[in-house]
Amino acid sequence: MTLREILGRLSAWRRRDELGHQLAEDMHAHIELLARDLRQDGLSPDEARAAARRQVGNVTRALEESRDAWGFPRVDVVVGDLRYAARGLRRAPGFTTTVVVTLALGIGANAAMFGVIDRLMFRPFAYLRDPATVNRVYLQSTYRGRTTTSTTFPYRRFLDLSRMTSTAAMVAAESQWRFGVGEGEATRIRHVAGVSASYFDFFDATPVVGRFFGRAEDVPPVGAAVAVISHELWTTDFGRRDVIGRRLKVGMIPYTIIGVAPPGFRGTAEAAPPDVLVPITTIPSNLGSWAQSSYLADYRWDWTEVLVRRKAGFDAASLGRELTSAYVASRASARAINPRVLPDSLVHPLGIAGPVKSAAGPDAGMESRVLLWVAGVALLVLAIACANVANLMLARVLRRKREITVRLALGVSRGRLVAQLVTEALLLALLGGTAGIVAAQWGGVAIRRLLLPEGSDFNLATDWRTLAVAFVCALAATLATAIGPAILATRTDLAAALKAGPREGTLGRSRARTALVVAQGAMTVVLLVGAGLFVRSVIRVEALPLGYDAHPVLEVVLDFRGFKMDSAQSAATRRRLLAAARVLPGVVGASQINSYPFSTNTGDLRIDGIDSIQALGRFNFQIVSPGYFDVMQTRILRGRAITEADRDGAQLVAVVSEAMARALWPGRDPLGRCMHVGLGEHPEATSARCTTVVGIAENSAQQDLVDDPRFMYYIAAEQFAPAGLSSMLVRVAAPDASSHLEAVRRALTREMPGDGFVVVRPLQEVVDDHMRSWRLGATLFVAFGALALAVALVGQYGAISYQVTQRMHELGVRAALGARSRDVVWLVTWQSVRTGAIAVIIGLAVASSAARWVQPLLFRQSATDPLTYSIVAAGMVFAALLASALPATRAMRADPCTALRAE
Amino acid sequence: MNAPSPLLAGTLDLLILKTVSIGPMHGYAIAQHIHRLSNDALRVEEGSLYPALQRMQVKGWLASETKRSPTGRQARYYRLTAAGRKQLIAEEKAFRASVSATTLVLEGTKP
Repeated sequence: MTLREILGRLSAWRRRDELGHQLAEDMHAHIELLARDLRQDGLSPDEARAAARRQVGNVTRALEESRDAWGFPRVDVVVGDLRYAARGLRRAPGFTTTVVVTLALGIGANAAMFGVIDRLMFRPFAYLRDPATVNRVYLQSTYRGRTTTSTTFPYRRFLDLSRMTSTAAMVAAESQWRFGVGEGEATRIRHVAGVSASYFDFFDATPVVGRFFGRAEDVPPVGAAVAVISHELWTTDFGRRDVIGRRLKVGMIPYTIIGVAPPGFRGTAEAAPPDVLVPITTIPSNLGSWAQSSYLADYRWDWTEVLVRRKAGFDAASLGRELTSAYVASRASARAINPRVLPDSLVHPLGIAGPVKSAAGPDAGMESRVLLWVAGVALLVLAIACANVANLMLARVLRRKREITVRLALGVSRGRLVAQLVTEALLLALLGGTAGIVAAQWGGVAIRRLLLPEGSDFNLATDWRTLAVAFVCALAATLATAIGPAILATRTDLAAALKAGPREGTLGRSRARTALVVAQGAMTVVLLVGAGLFVRSVIRVEALPLGYDAHPVLEVVLDFRGFKMDSAQSAATRRRLLAAARVLPGVVGASQINSYPFSTNTGDLRIDGIDSIQALGRFNFQIVSPGYFDVMQTRILRGRAITEADRDGAQLVAVVSEAMARALWPGRDPLGRCMHVGLGEHPEATSARCTTVVGIAENSAQQDLVDDPRFMYYIAAEQFAPAGLSSMLVRVAAPDASSHLEAVRRALTREMPGDGFVVVRPLQEVVDDHMRSWRLGATLFVAFGALALAVALVGQYGAISYQVTQRMHELGVRAALGARSRDVVWLVTWQSVRTGAIAVIIGLAVASSAARWVQPLLFRQSATDPLTYSIVAAGMVFAALLASALPATRAMRADPCTALRAE
Repeated sequence: MNAPSPLLAGTLDLLILKTVSIGPMHGYAIAQHIHRLSNDALRVEEGSLYPALQRMQVKGWLASETKRSPTGRQARYYRLTAAGRKQLIAEEKAFRASVSATTLVLEGTKP
């Protein structure tokens, strides 16, 4: 067709009613003219009219013929097929609903998982220019076979890396913090990003108002106190008024607002988007004198993340090689400051230019792996749903066999018939896909809360990437489910089928259906085994003794916001706060700590007689005030806890964990042993003295939940941090501390000097964060497993029920020949159970061969656990039994009389 | 009178175009014209004529307007467009070429 013709047809199609009218009008005019001429030839008016009519012929047929010219006949055919399909589906609401719901579950599961994984791992950050050329820097070291990957480095390392990489077009530093923002009552904890001035060059973002800061404002040692606020903060806190030049206290420094970021700008923050962006060189001064004095002097403090944009023509591998040599050089200059930096030959330093999203990076962690697994599970759910839908379609096609045969006999081409069946499937897929998006949106709310950082946008309906995936899923489902049955349907022997009633010629087809039922059953078994393993694994993780009772404990972080105090004032203030906490209603105890569980650090520790303590593992410390062990309910197994007597000037003391005592002094009495602990304000002085072990505490999980040797030592706050610590633990009488959270927060904030405030959260939250990745796998596996089971049950039920319908006649004959209803029930049930059993055997075989891939995600749980396997097997067979219950009772009612009469 | 012969396949368009090239005409006149000029040998089926007229309109070869005929009744008059004229020349050329080629074969083959 030429363009002119298409346009002509289009306009004709739009005027098709008018054109039809015109045609009829023309032809009637013709008849009249012809009749007139015939009259002139001598015919009577009536005869003339009749003759004219005869000659002109059927106006309607001409109309039909002409219709081909008006529009797009092929489009009309498709529209006709769609109408036909819609009518057919409306007439079978049970079938339609089942298929749409099944597809929706399968597609929804995939859309939701894709939505999450895409956001966590793949979708480029908003405004990031040319994301393919941007990398995050990962530095790896492998010490004694254990590889550590890091994304945060000392600021000096950032300077080294940016100086020593020639393949990088630009390098930027960023660092995420939570600071108090605002003054007085209006102070809120906000997400603050410290970024280098070069950071903004990575983005195609223009400030809504004002400007971003430039290089002159980001100069060490202390950058200019200027801030860019997020569009959201501008909207919520400032009502979009003119804010340029206004003062904004961030942390302990007053900044001047110079710009507002565009809406939705989150930089490269993987967690919550930053509310305020400030020059990274102002962060250390905001943290205190220790940070300010050390961040340019040495390499001890890891806090800077590094982004790199490659020059054109360089790939990530070549940048990685350059990063490695830069890392080696940087380590050399670190060694010049601190000779104890291990030689490169021992740690094998490696630089990697990896994905900006660290969830897709080399140190993605268990959560990413679990997520990818669950995405695979979602695909399996879709496959099960497809098997089910294919089965239903097959059944529908077989039920319509007579109709199809008649239509074939009447001359419908096979191609047209297949096209119609596929159109029906496409319509179903479209409905299923739409319902799936809705399901994903609803179910996704739960998943988002579980998986995505706060403030993530999760509107799937406007998210074309997820929509595209849902559409592709729907399309694939259609192809997988419709083509087979459609071809099968048209491959019939006309004569035989027309002669035969529903009694004959279905046995062969039902074999395909049984195969589908077995396939979906087997996939369900695999999923259920996975679910079972993850659940048992979580149970084991949750049963791990933590060595403390976190539920009734609140963690309190003090933020003085730079309120100037000397050491004595500081100590007094903290003592006052501790005392204030202790007398709050419902509070039974309080203690200072330097870091809460799972954030403890390793410190300078030497033991006489042991050459390299690092070889034994990681020893972390906790600085505590008296009462700590009571607050945490960590039992002292031998010796004593830290008491009020352990003050400055007295003998330095430590309590060590049982595991640490056994590792350092195996078979010997640990009490009274001497440790050299280089910590606190005068590390050299304390390291020179003996810190005596006075007690043995039960092991407690302070480094990591599962992968932790539990090597901990506790030292006295009065001896190692006389000016006081910035965190406290408060134990309440209630079983759940969160009920006291607000009261404690308000009371302690009142006690804080100046603009200071406290941040309180239940300690259990910290523990839960570490349980999360375990629970995540279990929750999602169980959810998808249940989904799969439900879908498979429906499939099994449908298949058995259909078979019973088909065999009603045969069953009636059996009954007439004397079969008891028990025999009939057994016949039907046995068929279902046999299918189920075959599915179980195949499913378990698949599960056990996939076991070694799942094993690393499980905790002290064999991936070929016989108990899990048996329970799933029994459950599946029982489910098959259940699915056959209803059809079996129907089979029991097979009527011998009806059967015989039909014979 | 011999019974009118059916049209040669594919010549209807050509005949219509040629007829209308004289000047605007309504459908009945077109049919009459073809009938007459062929010495009553060719008869256009009304059931094909009108769909053909519409098809050629959609293709842009013809345009139509309602006019009062000399006898005083309303009728749709079809006229050739520029594209139609081009089409007419092309079809006429192709037809003549085909006829002369067919004739050559018929003449040159003796039984």
